[in-house]
Parts: sequence; C-alpha cells; structure tokens
Amino acid sequence: MRVGIPKVLNIWSTHQFWVGFLTALGISPENIVFSSDTSEDQYREYGKGRGTVDCCYPVKCMSGHYGELIFGQKKKIDILLSPMIYSLPSFLRGHVLDTLTCTRVMAGPENIKAGFLKERDVFAENGIRYVSPFVSLGEPEKVPKQLHLALKDVLDLSEEETVRAVEAGYRALETFNQRMRQKSREILTWCARHDRPCILVLARPYHMDPGIGHEIEAELQAHGFPILWMQYFPIDEDLMHWLFGEEIRAGRIKSPFDISDVWPSSYSSNTNEILWGAKVAARCPWITCVIRFSSYECGMDQPTYTPTQKIVEASGTLYFKFGDLDATKPAGSIKIRVETIVHYVEKYSRDIIRRKLAALPPRCPLLEDAASTSESAPLAA
Amino acid sequence: METIQRINHYTAYRPRPFTREERATVTILFGGLTWKHERLIQGVMHNLGYRAQPLPNITRADLDAGKELIDVGACCPTIFTTGNLVNFLKSEVAALGRDEVVKRYVFLTAGACGPCRFGQYHESYTMALDGLGLRDFRLFLLAQNQLDQGATHGGGLEINLPLSLGLIWAILCADVLTDLEYMTRPYEVVPGETDRVMRESIEYLYDVFRRRPQEKLQGGKLKVFAWHVLTDYFTDALREVRKRWDTIRVDRLQVKPKVKITGEFWLQTHEGDGNYNIKRWLEQEGAEVIPPPIAVWLDYLLHSPITSEEWKGAERNRKKIALIRALEHIYHFVYNRFRRALGNLPYELPDQEELKQLAKPYYHYELRGGEGHMLVGKALYAYRHKKAHMICELSPYSCMPNTMSIGAMANVLGRYPDLLYAPIEIKGDAEVHALSRCQMILTEAKRRAQAEFEDALAKTGLTVEAIRRYEERYPEVQRSTYRIPHYGYAGTAANYVMHLARKMR
Ligand code: SF4
Ligand code: SF4
Repeated sequence: MRVGIPKVLNIWSTHQFWVGFLTALGISPENIVFSSDTSEDQYREYGKGRGTVDCCYPVKCMSGHYGELIFGQKKKIDILLSPMIYSLPSFLRGHVLDTLTCTRVMAGPENIKAGFLKERDVFAENGIRYVSPFVSLGEPEKVPKQLHLALKDVLDLSEEETVRAVEAGYRALETFNQRMRQKSREILTWCARHDRPCILVLARPYHMDPGIGHEIEAELQAHGFPILWMQYFPIDEDLMHWLFGEEIRAGRIKSPFDISDVWPSSYSSNTNEILWGAKVAARCPWITCVIRFSSYECGMDQPTYTPTQKIVEASGTLYFKFGDLDATKPAGSIKIRVETIVHYVEKYSRDIIRRKLAALPPRCPLLEDAASTSESAPLAA
Repeated sequence: METIQRINHYTAYRPRPFTREERATVTILFGGLTWKHERLIQGVMHNLGYRAQPLPNITRADLDAGKELIDVGACCPTIFTTGNLVNFLKSEVAALGRDEVVKRYVFLTAGACGPCRFGQYHESYTMALDGLGLRDFRLFLLAQNQLDQGATHGGGLEINLPLSLGLIWAILCADVLTDLEYMTRPYEVVPGETDRVMRESIEYLYDVFRRRPQEKLQGGKLKVFAWHVLTDYFTDALREVRKRWDTIRVDRLQVKPKVKITGEFWLQTHEGDGNYNIKRWLEQEGAEVIPPPIAVWLDYLLHSPITSEEWKGAERNRKKIALIRALEHIYHFVYNRFRRALGNLPYELPDQEELKQLAKPYYHYELRGGEGHMLVGKALYAYRHKKAHMICELSPYSCMPNTMSIGAMANVLGRYPDLLYAPIEIKGDAEVHALSRCQMILTEAKRRAQAEFEDALAKTGLTVEAIRRYEERYPEVQRSTYRIPHYGYAGTAANYVMHLARKMR
C-alpha cells in the first residue's frame, strides 16, 4: 500500500504527524510519498488546466502536487491523502481564542479535487483512492474519530488502532518540533554569547517550500546571518520568562503566549503565531531584523501587515516585507533588497541589541546556558 | 542593579468604555445590511432607550475611502464597510469637529468567530480610525452567536435577550418583506408601487418594533423568550402590512427568468453600489430575483454546532444537540408564522440538513468561513427543486472562502451541466465586466423561462387571451398577495398558467 501526500499548505507544519500516524498503522516509511517542492515545472507538467479558480499561489499550486502524485510516480500510489486540516496543534492553544487554519487551507482540497473530477474521475482512472479526511488537529480528542471515519474502509482500520496511531502521530510531531526548537535555541545562544545578530522569518509554514518562499532567507544566510523561523522559536520557560515576565507582572498579558495585547481576534493559528513572532522579535535583543513573507493575494495576511510591522518596529527592530510572492522568483529584486537588508543589519544591529537588552531584566538565560557553546556559527534552524 | 529602560511596545486598539449614563447622549452607529433591516433594527434600539442610527447606504465613494486607509488586498466587503464608516465620520467631523464626533458616536459591528477577515473587520476599522486621527473613537464588536453577552464596555450597551431577540425578530420581518418585494416589483402594473408600499410597510413596522411593550421585556429570560415566540404582536402587524400589499396589482403573464442570488454574506445581502446594485439591474434586465434572506444564515449559525457536538458524542453533548434542535424548531416556527401572516408568500427556509447532504460530495459541511457549504448546497437546492432558472453567486474580489466554493462548483457543474450558474466577481469598480458576464448566462435563463411558459400553455391548452379574460372576471388573481403554488416550474408565469388552468377547470 503506497500513500501519496501532497506537500502543500499546513502539511508543512504537520507532516511529522502524518508520517507517525501512517507508520504506526504499519505503512513503511518508504511507502509514504510526499510530492516534491513546489515548482513552476511541476505545475506546468501536472497541474495546468486543472485549476478551477484564481486565488493565492499556495493553493493554486496544489494542482501540480496532486498531478505529480497521480501521474509522476515511478511506483504508483494507491491512496492520495489530502487532509482538510481545520485546526492546528499550535503552541499558542489555550492562550488564544482558537487555532483554526485559513479557510483556504481547510477547503483547498475540495477546490483542487474538483479540477480532477469535473470532466471525469481522474483518480479512479488511475486506480487511486482519493481520501480527504476533515481533521481538527487542534483538538486531539476529536481526531481519532475523524480519521477513523475517513480511513476505515480504505485502510481497514479499527477504532483502537486509529487511537494508537493518532497518539503516535502527535508524539512524532512533538518530538520533531522540540528538536527544531532546541536547534533554534542553540543558534540564539550562540548569537547571545557572541553578541551577534540573527534574522527572524515571519511567515506561514509553507513559505519554507522553496517554490513558495523562494529561499529568500537562504540568501541572507549566505551573508553570514543566522536565520530563525518563528515556528520553531524556543519556547522554554526561562527564556519566555525573561522576555515577557515584566509584562505579565504588570498585568498587560496573562502569559508569554497571550497575544490579546496586540491581536484581539486571535482565531487563526498561523496568523496568531505570526503576531506572537512579531512580539518576540520586538523583545529578543539578538533578533535585530525580521523578514516577513506573504503570498500573492493572501487574505489572511492582509489585515496583519500594519500591526506586525508596528509591533516589530516599536523596539527599533528592522522589518522588511516580501509580499505578493507567487510562482516566479523575482531574483533581481530579491538580490537588491537582500543587499539593502544586509547593509542595515550590519549598520544597526549593535545599537538594536544594546537598546533591547537594556529594556530586559539582567539575567539572560541564554548567557547562562551551559549547553551549546559551539564556536562555529550554526546558521539555520 | 541596572535600571531597565522602557520600550513602548505596540498595543492594539482598545475602546474607551461607553457608559450607561452616556446612553441618552451617545448615538450608536451600525450598518452592513439593507435599509429595511437597518430601519427595523433602529426601531428595536429606540425601543430599548438607545440612540441609534444606521450609516448611510454604501456608495462607490466608500470604496475609494476604504482603499485609501487600509492595507492593500482586503476583500471588497471590508473595504466598502470601512470606507462607509470613514466617509460618515469625515463628514461629521467637518460639521461638528472631531472632539464632538468622538463624544457623540460609537460604532457597533458584528464580529467574532470569523475564520476569514470577517472576524478581523475591526482591524481595518481601527486602521482607518488611525488614518483619520480618531483613535479615541469607540468601536464595539457584537458576537453574532451569543444572545446574552451581558453589559459590555462600561454598560452603555447591554446585549441581553430583549435586544438580541428584538434584533433577530426585526431581521426576520425585514427578510419576509424583502421576499414579497422582490416577487412583486418585476410584475407590478403601476411602476413604483412596490417601492412605495415597501417604504410605508417598513415605517409602520419600525413603529411596531419601537413600541414593543416594555412589560413583556421585563422578567425572566424564559418569559421574554416565550412572549416573542408566541405573541401575536408581530404577526398582527405583518397582517396589517399585508393589507397594504393587497392593493398592488401585478401582471404575472410577463415571462421572466428567476435568478437566485447567493454568495458572500455581506455582498449578497447588500442593495446598492457595493454589488453594482445587481439585484435592481437584474430586474431591469427582465429577471425576477430571489433575494437571500439573512434568516438562512442565522439558521446555519444555529445548526452548525450540532456536528461538532456529534463528534464529541457524550451524554452531555447529546443533550446539547437536543436543545439546539428544539431551538431550530422554534426558529422555523417563528419564521413560518411570519410567512403565514404574509399569506405564505415568502419562501420557506431550506432545511439545513438537506443543504448539508446536497453539498456533501463537493464541499464538506464543517468547512467554515463565508457561507461554507451552503453556497454549493443552495445552488443544488434551487436546481433540484426547480426554484430558479439561474444562480448568480456574488463573490467578493479577494474573498478567501468564496473562491474555494466556487472552485468546488466546477465539480458540481461537471455532474449537472445544465445548472445555470454565474459566479460574479465583485471588485467594486469593474461593473461592466461583471454585469456582462451575468448577462450572458441570463440570456439562456430567459430562453428557459420562455420555454417553460410555452410548455405550460401547451400542457394546459390555455391561451394568453383566455387568461386575460379570466383575470378580468376574477381580479383577485392579479393581487400581489395572491399566492401562486409551485407546479414544478421555476418561472412565475408558467406556474401561474398551471394554477389558473386548475381554477378554470
Ligand atoms: S493563509 Fe493566505 S496564502 Fe495561505 S491559503 Fe490562506 S489565503 Fe492562501
Ligand atoms: S467571507 Fe470573504 S468577503 Fe466576507 S469577510 Fe470573509 S474574506 Fe471577506
């Protein structure tokens, strides 16, 4: 049994769950196939003519991923699994109103599948079962039922098996996230110890896809600046307490993960995280620069542009936005902007670090960290 | 110890309180629906002792004002509604000065639970306020899924049952009347009659809501609720309204395609520049429009928690489901009473379960945002039950959920190629393009309406002349309030022929 998963949208932040879940059901890892990174070629070859509507690029490119899994595999897949992810297991859960996905993220599969069904059933023609479970990953108690319902016939599942597999999925995801956060902490510690700046990326998880985020952060990294992704920022208590403790004591927020001071309508998971990331960036001394990615026609990001920028810039932290990203990499303009960013980061980081440090309590846990004192610069999380 | 230097971190907008004492002097602004709904809502607010005023109807100028002040890329309802507030405040500032405006008005808007920008409208509003230098202007959000939220923000506004039920009852009354309006105007014999009677009816109902008996709004919640559900107060008023509509003469032999409007909530409800006045435009183009009642949206809000409770499956959840179903029952009971008071002319509410089942293969019913699965469900409902010749779906430019359901419709159309479906993207400033797209499909709808009419004539053996003679003898069939049952045709004229054939037998 081979299962193909289109590597799109919030699969980027939950893929470990799906791998953990499926392997727990006895599907070997080599039989879990993810589509490749997004590319113009992928869309041209496999997705063209299957789009049903004009919308943001991260959704539009999904047809290419579906097509690649259907037509582009040497060893055919039996199941195309494209979950409708309704909510996410965010670290902000419990501190925000909800952790829903974007309405296009949750409904994307319904939209894209239409392109493969409107004339004839392309899945059936290729001997593939299309499975699209509706799944509230933000509410783990609902997930076994939801996945059992969607997959019981296809994978011949019992309820107990599903419960166990879901648990394994969450464990795998958690382990992965923790590892990534640990890595980020090491980077941040290195920056703190060497009084060096790093750059924080504020973006949706799928901007990690080279075809969607266009690896802009890699160009900055090539200039020697360590890069952190907000999704994997370390959330250890000591660090959070150092960054937010004062404000909690002053009653401005209830916890380090409370974003109600900047974003009262905290329904959307990735949006909440972006706003939280902006708050962290405004406070953490060694983050002297934020780069924000946003895709062409992203409706979720639109209301956040100004608040995010204001949050970051309130502490003098540099802020640069790369908006309207779509299929083509604007290499020329990226190059020019990267040079500008490098210039500013080099020129102002010392001051920014100093100013932000002065606004925080003296004992920084990173400087007290015994762990990770590597002398060579770790570059990316 | 080093002293900590302060950084002034950004904080989101928080309105100053609106106090109880201010009720007599502060006007609550609101908007976003039709002038009819808003006037009745104003009646409810006045009844409860609030000063309240709807914002002026949306115009093209609001789009420009909105675009100027909020981040680019917003969906068109966000831009229009923000611009609407902006233009009103600007004109008031020019007349009264900023301090007076800040003192004299607060703005109340629906919000909450929006997985799309709907839940974040207030971000755009506050950005606009910043742009206007009016950050101290007060803006409040009304959660649309809680009837009893208690006193908020200083007690100036109390979101309790008398207010919430008043608002819902006002919306339902405006809805049933709007149905009547749209089924009458295309056929009116004296041009302008429908609009005149509509205005009079709304004024009359405004007064009915303004005079809601205070003693019925006091006491326990159950008592207030029971009175609203069971009283004849509103149905009597609607019967009175019906008498006014009796006087309008219609000519139902005009063959017109029926166009059902669906789409994003704000855009489909709106009547004005915000959607290129498309409902009036369709009428001018010779169509009969089926307007989308807000009641269906409220029904959806009421119904949708059932699924999520079903997932949980515990005893407590089963009880909650039973309660929701009971409330739904009551809700439909009230709506149907209002319909009956208007001679059963307004359309019935579609069954939410049916919408869900119809949409199921194409769009999962738990996908939230915008109208969710209902757009697919409503299109199929109208098609299957032959309620309309054509669906015109109003899709806001840059709307997130709407693009998804339009995409899913490709699958529906693959299965039902003769479903006439016109998704119209509304940008606010690309009228010609949108309307010409609509016109193309309307041409086919007209052809179908004509074919149906001819079919009905052939089937019944009637002629237009024979019908005219009958109408002369029995003029009551030409009353706008004379109900024509559904005989399986979408078009009014064809059903009219079938009906008269039976009468003449
Ligand atoms: S968050 Fe933005 S880019 Fe992502 S799916 Fe939604 S609208 Fe598209
Ligand atoms: S449903 Fe669409 S148009 Fe309406 S607020 Fe949401 S994104 Fe905007």
